[in-house]
Amino acid sequence: MEYRKTIGIEVHCELKTKEKIFSPSLSNYGSIANTNANIIDMAYPGVLPQFNSEVLSFAIKACHVLNLNITKKMHFDRKNYFYADNPKNFQITQNETPIGTNGYVEIDINGKKKKIEILEMHIEEDTCKSVHSDKYSLLDYNRAGVPLIEIVTKPCMESALEAVKYLEKLRELLLYAGVSDCKIEEGSMRCDTNVSISKTNELGTKIEVKNIGSISNVGEAINYEAKRQEEILEKGEKLREETRRFDDKTRTTILMRVKETGNDYRYFPEPDIPYVNLTDDFIHDAINELSRMPDERRKDYEKSGILPINIEKIIANKEISDYLENFLDINLVIASNLLLGDIQSYLNKNNLKIEDTKLTHQKFRDLVNKLDKKEINNKIFKDILIDIMETSKDIDDIICDKGLNVSFDDNLLNSIIDNVLSNNEKIISDYKNGNTRSAKALMGLIMKEGKGKIDPSAANEKLMEKLNSL
Amino acid sequence: MLTKEEVMHVADLARIEITEEELQKYQKDLKILLDEVDKIKDIDDFDDEKMFSPTDNTFDLERKNISVTNENVLLNVPKKMGNFVEAPVMINE
Repeated sequence: MEYRKTIGIEVHCELKTKEKIFSPSLSNYGSIANTNANIIDMAYPGVLPQFNSEVLSFAIKACHVLNLNITKKMHFDRKNYFYADNPKNFQITQNETPIGTNGYVEIDINGKKKKIEILEMHIEEDTCKSVHSDKYSLLDYNRAGVPLIEIVTKPCMESALEAVKYLEKLRELLLYAGVSDCKIEEGSMRCDTNVSISKTNELGTKIEVKNIGSISNVGEAINYEAKRQEEILEKGEKLREETRRFDDKTRTTILMRVKETGNDYRYFPEPDIPYVNLTDDFIHDAINELSRMPDERRKDYEKSGILPINIEKIIANKEISDYLENFLDINLVIASNLLLGDIQSYLNKNNLKIEDTKLTHQKFRDLVNKLDKKEINNKIFKDILIDIMETSKDIDDIICDKGLNVSFDDNLLNSIIDNVLSNNEKIISDYKNGNTRSAKALMGLIMKEGKGKIDPSAANEKLMEKLNSL
Repeated sequence: MLTKEEVMHVADLARIEITEEELQKYQKDLKILLDEVDKIKDIDDFDDEKMFSPTDNTFDLERKNISVTNENVLLNVPKKMGNFVEAPVMINE
C-alpha cells in the first residue's frame, strides 16, 4: 500500500497599503535600510499603535475573492515572544477573531475542479528584516509593521501538483484583487507548508517546511519531504514533529528545529487597539472597488475567440488584462494580438508602460477597428507603430502623412492583377499544370506592384477567382 | 512562599543581582503580588470583551505623522553597521 500525502499551506502576503499598519511610516519595498522606520516601528517606550483603516479595506477584498466569511466584530491579540526581529517583544496579530473564516479557492486538476478549503485568514504586522552572519545579525526596520495577511488552508491537499495549483491561483486572485504584489522573490508572498504521510486514515506526523523561495520549489519541497519521510518510516524509525527549510542549492529540506513542546505565546487581546466593528457599508465599499477577477475575464476572452495559450499570457500580465478591460466591445483577438505582440515588444524595447506612450484609448480603439475592417493591413500597422506610440497624431493622419492608404478601389485592384497576369503567362501555365505554388509567386508580384496599398486577402481572393476562370 | 530557585530565576530574567537577605524578602513579597493577581480568578462571568474597549471603530482618528529622520532613528542604537542595526547573532530563525 502506498503512502498518502496530506498537505496544508500557510501563506503570508504583504498588503500594499501606502502606510504601515500601526504607524504612518511608508510601507515601501527597496528603500535604504531604516529610512521607513519611526519610533512606533522601533518600539520606543510609551508609543502607541495608530491603526491604519486602509488595511481593513484591503483585507476585506482578499476575504471576498477567497470566499471567506467576514468577521464583523473583531479585535487584535498580542503574540508574545522574545526575539530581536521584534523590539516590542510581541507581535500584534489576530488569534481569536481572524477577519476571514471558512473560505475556498477552486483549482483545476487535469480538468477536474477541486475546492481547496481555507480555514482562516488573519491580519498581522510584519517583523523587521534580519540578515544573519556568524558574528552578528543586521536589522532593517523598514519591514517592521508592514501589514500582512496570513492565509491558512485545511490539511486538504494530496499532491505537490495541487499545492502548486493552489498557490498559483491564490497569487492570481490576490494580485487581481489589487491587495498585494505577491512577489515571492521580494518576500511580499511567503509560503510555509505542512507535509505528512500516512497509510491509514489517521494523519501522519506533521513536518513544516518554511521559507520556500518560489511556487515551483514548494512542489519540489513537498515531493522531497514526502520521500524523505517514507524512507525513515520504511526503516522502521519514527518521525518527530520538526521545522525544516528548503535549501535552494542542494534541492533538499534541512532541519531547523525540533518542536518538542508547542510554543506558549501567551496570547491576550491587544489593549491599545479598540475593537473593530465592520459596518455593512464599509464592507460593500471595499468590495465595490474590486475589478473583475481572472476567471470572469477568461470567459470573455474565450468567447471572443482568443487562443487558450494567449488567454493565459494575458492573464499572466495584469497590466495588459487591465488595459483590455476598456475594450471589451471591440475585436479582442486583434486587440490582444497587438498588445501581446508588437506593442509589448515596443514597450519592452523602450522600457516603457502603455501610459508612458502617446497611445490613447481612442487611438487603440481606432487602430483595432481599422485592422478589423481591413482598412489597414498588418504591414501598414508595423510601418506606423512608432508614430502611433510617439506622436499625438490620430491614426488617419499618420496613414495619410505616410501615404499608406490601402485602396479598396476594385478597379485599381483589377488593373494590377490583370497587368501581372498578362505579363506572366509562364507562371500561369505552371499553375494550370498543377503547380499550386505558382499562385503564391503571382501574389508576390501583385503585392509588389500594389506597394502595400492593397489588401492582401482581397487581392488573393480576386487572383484565385481570375486564375480559376482562365 | 516562592522557592529560592524561583526568585533567583526572576532576578536572572530581570538582570539584577540580589543578596541572600533580599532573596528571603522577595520570597514573601512576590507571593503577596501573585496572590493579588490570583484574585482575577474570582471575578464572575469573565470574558475578555469586557476587559477593555469602551469605544470601537476609533481607527479613523487622524494618524499623526511622527516620522523621525534616519539619523534620529539610529541615534539610540547601541551598535550599527551602515544603516543597519547590529544585534547579537540570532540562531532561532
